Amino acid sequence: MTPGDDEARLRAALAEAHREDAERTRSFEATWAAARRSTPRRSRWRWAVVGAGVAAAVAGVWLVARPKPPPTAPILGTRWVGPTDFLLQTPDLMTLRTLPPLDPAADPWTARPPAPRGNP
Amino acid sequence: MASVELEQQIAALHPASFAWALACTRWNTPEAEEVLQSVYLSILEGRARFDGRSSFKTWLFAVVRNMAARARRRRWLEERWKTFGGSTAGTAVDPVLSEERGARVRHALGMLPARQREVLDLVFFHEMTVEQAAEVMDVSTGTARTHYHRGKLRLLELLGTEDLP
Repeated sequence: MTPGDDEARLRAALAEAHREDAERTRSFEATWAAARRSTPRRSRWRWAVVGAGVAAAVAGVWLVARPKPPPTAPILGTRWVGPTDFLLQTPDLMTLRTLPPLDPAADPWTARPPAPRGNP
Repeated sequence: MASVELEQQIAALHPASFAWALACTRWNTPEAEEVLQSVYLSILEGRARFDGRSSFKTWLFAVVRNMAARARRRRWLEERWKTFGGSTAGTAVDPVLSEERGARVRHALGMLPARQREVLDLVFFHEMTVEQAAEVMDVSTGTARTHYHRGKLRLLELLGTEDLP
């Protein structure tokens, strides 16, 4: 079979596949008119999308820029004191909660390196 | 291009455009109608504009192809959504299940990858050159030529000894 035969065969096959297209085709006038009719509907959708976007942007700006309420101080008398809290009040509380002063000379990280020995 | 002239050109190409839309949607008639209507709408709204860089037919076919691809993606998403929602609503009836000869050819075409199917349809039915088909498909001529040769061999193999007029 020659390439020309193959091409003729494929041409016939495609023509066969498309043979009923004409019966299925809606007229140009009907399709064109339907497209014209659907234009305003699309426009309405576009406006609805634009409107929703603007509303979302306004809401976002308001959420970011709205005045914040002043911080509220705890109401007096509301601090809860446990019945065993007094046990934590030890005489050495201050000693335990603070660091003892350290001698900087004893700290190996901050101490100065030993001076080099001089020549004899 | 004046709108009257544009309308006349589109009207003259309407049967060919519809045949191309059918091929792009695997012969799903309602979808092809919707695709073509969307194409006309995008032309009316000025979203698709002919700039004269190619022939009018090539440009129009490229718009049809893009619109069909968009419709296919939307349908795919809708089907996924239906599956996700547990809906049992059936998809469109496969138009290639009938026993007639044209349907068997369409079935064979449907088994080809989309680009092979498209290039064969453009060349053998719409009488375009491979270069024009490449423009419609938005691929290089070399790529279109590769799809053309592979598609030819595969379709001949699928058609087998089927007797065609």
